Amino acid sequence: MALRELKVCLLGDTGVGKSSIVWRFVEDSFDPNINPTIGASFMTKTVQYQNELHKFLIWDTAGQERFRALAPMYYRGSAAAIIVYDITKEESFTTLKNWVKELRQHGPPNIVVAIAGNKCDLSDAREVLEKDAKDYADSIHAIFVETSAKNAININEVFIEISKRIPLAESAGGTSGKAFKLGRQASESRRTCC
Amino acid sequence: MRCADGGTCTSACPQMFASRAARGRVNGTTAIPWRSSRRKPTLLEQLKGSECAWCPAAPWERDGARAALCGTPAGSFLVVRDSTTSVPSLLCVSAGGDNNEAVIDYCIKSTDTVFQLSESRLCFSDLAQLVLFYSLTRDVLALRLSIPLWIYGVTEMTGDLSQLEPETWLCSPTDQQTDEMTQREPSNMMCSIQLTSTNGALCIINPLYLREHGDDWLTDRTTSAQSATPSPTNYRKERRLSTTRAWAGAGLLSKRAISMEQDSAAITETSGLSRASSADSPHWPTSAPETSAGVVLRRPSRDAASFPAPYRVSSGSLTTSTTSTPSTPGGSNRESLELPPHGSPVPLSPHRVSWVEDGVWLPPPRPSSRLHPPSLELDSLSISSIEEEQEYQIPSPAPHHQSAHRLADKVIHRLSAVGQALGGLVSQKKRLTNRVQELSERKGSAFAEAVKGFVEMTLKKVVITTGSRGQSSYRNITDLNDSEIDSLVELSLHKVALKPVSAHLYSCIHASRTNDGSFDRLQSNMCILEKNGVEELGGSAGVGVPDSLTLERIQQRWTSMHEAYSPNKKVHILLKVCKSIYHSMSANASSGTAFGADDFLPCLTWVLLRSDVVTLHLDTDYMMELLDPTQLQGEGGYYLTTLYASLYYISSFRPRLAARQLSVEAQNSLNQWHRRRTLHCNQSRRSRNRRTIRRQSCQDRGSQNSDTDTERREERSAGDGEAFGHNEQDTGPEALPPLDEEAHTPSDGNQGEEVTSKREETQSVCGEEDHR
Repeated sequence: MALRELKVCLLGDTGVGKSSIVWRFVEDSFDPNINPTIGASFMTKTVQYQNELHKFLIWDTAGQERFRALAPMYYRGSAAAIIVYDITKEESFTTLKNWVKELRQHGPPNIVVAIAGNKCDLSDAREVLEKDAKDYADSIHAIFVETSAKNAININEVFIEISKRIPLAESAGGTSGKAFKLGRQASESRRTCC
Repeated sequence: MRCADGGTCTSACPQMFASRAARGRVNGTTAIPWRSSRRKPTLLEQLKGSECAWCPAAPWERDGARAALCGTPAGSFLVVRDSTTSVPSLLCVSAGGDNNEAVIDYCIKSTDTVFQLSESRLCFSDLAQLVLFYSLTRDVLALRLSIPLWIYGVTEMTGDLSQLEPETWLCSPTDQQTDEMTQREPSNMMCSIQLTSTNGALCIINPLYLREHGDDWLTDRTTSAQSATPSPTNYRKERRLSTTRAWAGAGLLSKRAISMEQDSAAITETSGLSRASSADSPHWPTSAPETSAGVVLRRPSRDAASFPAPYRVSSGSLTTSTTSTPSTPGGSNRESLELPPHGSPVPLSPHRVSWVEDGVWLPPPRPSSRLHPPSLELDSLSISSIEEEQEYQIPSPAPHHQSAHRLADKVIHRLSAVGQALGGLVSQKKRLTNRVQELSERKGSAFAEAVKGFVEMTLKKVVITTGSRGQSSYRNITDLNDSEIDSLVELSLHKVALKPVSAHLYSCIHASRTNDGSFDRLQSNMCILEKNGVEELGGSAGVGVPDSLTLERIQQRWTSMHEAYSPNKKVHILLKVCKSIYHSMSANASSGTAFGADDFLPCLTWVLLRSDVVTLHLDTDYMMELLDPTQLQGEGGYYLTTLYASLYYISSFRPRLAARQLSVEAQNSLNQWHRRRTLHCNQSRRSRNRRTIRRQSCQDRGSQNSDTDTERREERSAGDGEAFGHNEQDTGPEALPPLDEEAHTPSDGNQGEEVTSKREETQSVCGEEDHR
């Protein structure tokens, strides 16, 4: 089965729950005590999509305004970007729109954009209407879901939708060398004994 | 000819022992036994000689063979040729019954070069080898083939064999012998396969056997366990033990050494399956099979059992030094008996299957042989066919004594054998590395010239960007596709090509960074920022920072990172630093939240502000320039990017500067870097699939989105390094400005403003669109 590595960049204001979403997706757990390889800012998860394996390389970015200038270093070469906002913070939705603009201007030309309205478990404190966000997402042809990292709502769906939108790989390529190692050994083991 | 009843064979006895004794004497030293003028045909030769008997020609077909086999002892067999092609096509084996069902057919597949049973993957270069093999081991058969006993009695290769009839071939042993055979089965329990590799052997115990019988037998080798069965079993046992005694030493390893030695003795003329077999008695003319104690391959018990009694007795006496044959010196040269007496003219084969049979491995004989079907030990046979060996090492025979071996010892020895086998793999890698180095040093070779040229050119010209081009040209030279070998070669290239120039590269980067003022800015901003705590740098309230001890260790790591010349090694060290920073973040944190980039970047910046940022900047540039962009998508790439970003944040820190302008500067800097790298990338890797695919997929997606962002895409070219790189390929790498992507010269400033105005234009367009 072909393995494709997909770089996914996480954008959004600080505190909207970017790393919680990744954490939830990667670990299937909201328990912060599970340690990833090095840290939660870079994590990977491989999922099967049709006859391919998609390995998501998830690059978290620092959401503070002062670090905005550094974002291009992170989203460069990404196959997809997940822009996260907090449904209880109108301001984070404004930031999201700025990210969309920046990606359109300076991001990879065909980057798949997904918009995630996080903290949908806190609907009492909602400031951003789901319809508004959905309409905006449709206008820019972006994936849209409201998520809750805390309650594990729609987390996997974001990545499934991304997989769907990633163009299929050509038959010959698109795979890393790792996928072929076994074949080489197998051919050796088939040699005869005399 | 028939000696199964023992009577006709006695005449051969003195002759046989004379020859064995003679062989024994020379073998005690270094002489090669099969040079003896009294050369005896091996079993394989005899099988070949009598092929017309067990593989009769045309008139014989399946039904005839089955009829002939009916009622013969189990294991009796005939090979039937195809009636039209007269190629051997069917192996008919008697299961021992009287009805027609008692004959089992196995298809033989044959090509020009090999014969094999269609159920098995083992191939043999001729039919006799196949038959011999299946007479020793069962593999896919229901039972082992039985080779008539009289064939062992044949002392000379005579023409008689070629005139044998199948009926003669199928002569059955006496009832008495069959009984004996059954009695002897237990002692033949085999539990392991020895797989030999270049450097050593790997022993595999059939797990079923262990589960069934435990591992007591491994350590429990008491002779009291010997069965009451007369000579054969006792004899075998004794032989084994005495062999064990002959080499003082411990454990399986020395056992292996023994078998290797024996094999190596045979290597001059035989190898492969036949070599393994040659160590066994079937190859011995008119000799008792039991003499092969301690030998790798086990002979079929059936044959041994039905051997004429005088043989057994006399050969047994050999080992116990009470030989009745005057020509055999007392207690002489037990080793000689283990040595294969004859090289058989069998084609060399790279594979070998051999059984460990030894005191160490032998389970105590069991009273009920029926519990253990003869071929129990053969279950895992097919593994051995995978194993191949080409070279032989001849270990010196390790001294061995008959102390009781504990299981732990054996495990250790087995582990060390595994270790040696693995060592063979590791050394292959090393060989490749050495090979690259060798190539680079060989005078006159294209590769060496390329390396030399690269080093000289780099030292002369102050163009560090050729580094990547140089690397890629080596990749073309070596022309290796496998990613593993590829990365290995790259590492080797780092050694031969990068090590000599790394110091020079450092000085180039240093000069360049000093000239463009980024070091100055970095150091002056350090003074402004270094008083800031991690929260002032943007970290959230609870995030911890490394304590002084950790900070010290991080400084040491930075130092070693600078000392490493390989960019891969540098990244490796960087990851270690990041890990310890992360550890400090969570360990000293007041709250138990998961820290993402929001906190890691401030924390890393905090650490950098307490480090030698100039050297770090040097190393970061070095890594960014030399690592392939495709290698930078993973964890190493992420943290290298974060390091780069953090340094950039420090060097460009201007408290009152508008975020937007800063963003433009960052954009320019990054685009220049990316364009330069993508340029090389496209030049060197245009043929590579992964890039091509990505570009194609991008185009696909581009067409999908074209309705929405056509106008914007014109503006985007700067961000799209790959497309850009193509356009500028004609300028060549040398024409690019070396390492000034962050130059803040007036002209750059103007350029930046231009871009800003462009951006504002497009943003207004976007804004309109947003409000639609």
